[in-house]
Amino acid sequence: MSSTDFKDGLIKEIPNLRAFAASLSGSMQLADDLVQDTLLKAWGNSEKFEPGTSLRAWLFTILRNTYYSLYRKRGREVQDSEGTYAERMATPGNQESHLDLADFRKALAKLPEEQREVLIMVGATGLSYEETAEICGVAIGTIKSRVNRARTKLAELLSIGGLEDLGPDRKSAAAMQRVGSEIVGP
Amino acid sequence: MNMTDSAAAAPDDGADFEPEVMLDPRVQESIGRSLKAHYDDIVNAPVPDKFLVLLAQLEATEHRAAGASTDELN
Repeated sequence: MSSTDFKDGLIKEIPNLRAFAASLSGSMQLADDLVQDTLLKAWGNSEKFEPGTSLRAWLFTILRNTYYSLYRKRGREVQDSEGTYAERMATPGNQESHLDLADFRKALAKLPEEQREVLIMVGATGLSYEETAEICGVAIGTIKSRVNRARTKLAELLSIGGLEDLGPDRKSAAAMQRVGSEIVGP
Repeated sequence: MNMTDSAAAAPDDGADFEPEVMLDPRVQESIGRSLKAHYDDIVNAPVPDKFLVLLAQLEATEHRAAGASTDELN
């Protein structure tokens, strides 16, 4: 793989790295520092990447290790002093979906890290359970168990455990879905 | 001593044997959509230029290094 191909691969993954880093650290500013470190490490270790395997999974592994070794403590400090990105990030879209997204992010930030990271990886990044298990260095059964607990905890935090609560939530979820699909496209 | 309570308070070590609470599929679906909305919102945000600048610099440095070693050979 030429360095230009490798560079192009990295560029394509930057948006996903930012989204994963923000989900982990709870801060957009820390997320961008984390992404920068990840890109530098990836560039310096490019010979260790096996072409044909998932570049996203490889980069997520680097990003996650960097987070746990260097950023975790800073993340808590930033959140303590500035609040989480959920409270500060401006979100395009209509007011209703904005509010719902902010609420969801606050709930997400309250999950234990090990549950939050797997829920994001399995539920939003397109990584498989197998890849997620490999990135986290645990068994697939553990990933499934953490995802299940994360969903249950989120439902509890968002008070959508009971069926009677689903009315307005279904509406907001549909609003979020619209926002998502408009941006992503067909 | 309540055995159930102490078991529930056990540290989270990724144990697989605990009984799993099955959420209503509609709740799962709703959480899934919110997760995607959260994630895609950041994925679709503009990428700061500094990342592209950084990668371009790294590539240029590598090309210069390759050029330099070729010059030495010649």
